[in-house]
Amino acid sequence: MRDSVFFLGKGGVGKTTLSSALALALARHGKRVLVASLDPAHNLGDSLKVKLDGEPKNVEKNLDALEVNLAWWVDKYLEESREQLKLNYSYNMTLNLDSFFGILKYSPGTEEYAVLWAIEDIHSRLAPSYDFVVFDTPPTALSLRFLSMPTISGLWVAELTKLRERILKDRQTIVRLDPDSPVAKGTVDKSDDKVYGKLGSIRTRLAALEVLFSKHSFMNIVVNPDQLSMYEALRIKDELERLGIPLSALCLNKHGVSEAAYELPAELHHLPKFTYSFSRDGIFTRDDLVSIGIEPLMNHILSERKTTR
Amino acid sequence: MPLQFGHILKTTLKTLTQVNRGKATGILDFELKELENIFTLLILGGFAGLPSPPSPIAIELLPYMEKELIVLIARADLAQDPLGVLMGMLEID
Repeated sequence: MRDSVFFLGKGGVGKTTLSSALALALARHGKRVLVASLDPAHNLGDSLKVKLDGEPKNVEKNLDALEVNLAWWVDKYLEESREQLKLNYSYNMTLNLDSFFGILKYSPGTEEYAVLWAIEDIHSRLAPSYDFVVFDTPPTALSLRFLSMPTISGLWVAELTKLRERILKDRQTIVRLDPDSPVAKGTVDKSDDKVYGKLGSIRTRLAALEVLFSKHSFMNIVVNPDQLSMYEALRIKDELERLGIPLSALCLNKHGVSEAAYELPAELHHLPKFTYSFSRDGIFTRDDLVSIGIEPLMNHILSERKTTR
Repeated sequence: MPLQFGHILKTTLKTLTQVNRGKATGILDFELKELENIFTLLILGGFAGLPSPPSPIAIELLPYMEKELIVLIARADLAQDPLGVLMGMLEID
């Protein structure tokens, strides 16, 4: 069932505002909702007027919110790997590799993976208690990287699995020909090989995330009435198409904020469009958030969900 | 005396069988080590500038790859003379 909602777009277009507004509207409509910020520079709590952390906090009836702590996820993950490494490796080897872990948190891809681990945790541990999970995402670059990660990593893992199978097959042949070979002391069966097992579990997890993004989510692009955010929306559309992730709606936020001319790209015309006028009085309370007119988008999501159930 | 002769014969046959088995698996063993080396290089190559999967995948697999790392280090030692190793294995002088 489609129960996750993502808002994507250029930095500052209003993803947090629309995420909070939709979550509030759904909650006041009687749905149990969790709104989660994946942005390392959180402001979901500021928007909802509640101090948030990594665990769900009740905002009002039917609505919980959390701000994912990416640094905590990276540290947790590295610590678990380090402990496993100490458990499996001989002392001397561990001593050489241990110092290595200190710098791994800064290696490319780690932050994107931390977002994936957080989404996986929310989806498996928390989502069953809610009707909807609304994700407020980081700006485009990081969002596209974490959305593409399951597909790209999946390709790598598939190739590594094939190579591992070939290694295990060679080991089996050697042991069959020469049962006294040193190879016999190691693992020769797929069922005993921890590397093969780990590759399998990584593949399963990545496939589940791929399905979540492509089949169980509403992906909404947020744009402002300016050409730059439109160009970025096009890039998001192209990238998501490449990944096989369908778009659900286009949200034109801050309509009327300027008189500058802009043009909605033809490639985005087919998407259901929802417009939100710029609020000159500002948005200060949760009631202000609901009053921006989010109901049409909410109804669109509710009706789409019914048809895909 | 016959018992001792039988024992010697048995040991000799066992040794000969083992030598033949070793020869039969030698090339396969070489291929296996190369594959294990390539597997490790593919996973950990990112740390040395080679194309590789995102490093978090390497971190997940690393705790189970001690043997492969030892092969990688041993292979690196032989990297100076790979042809020599191959010729030696094929018994070409």
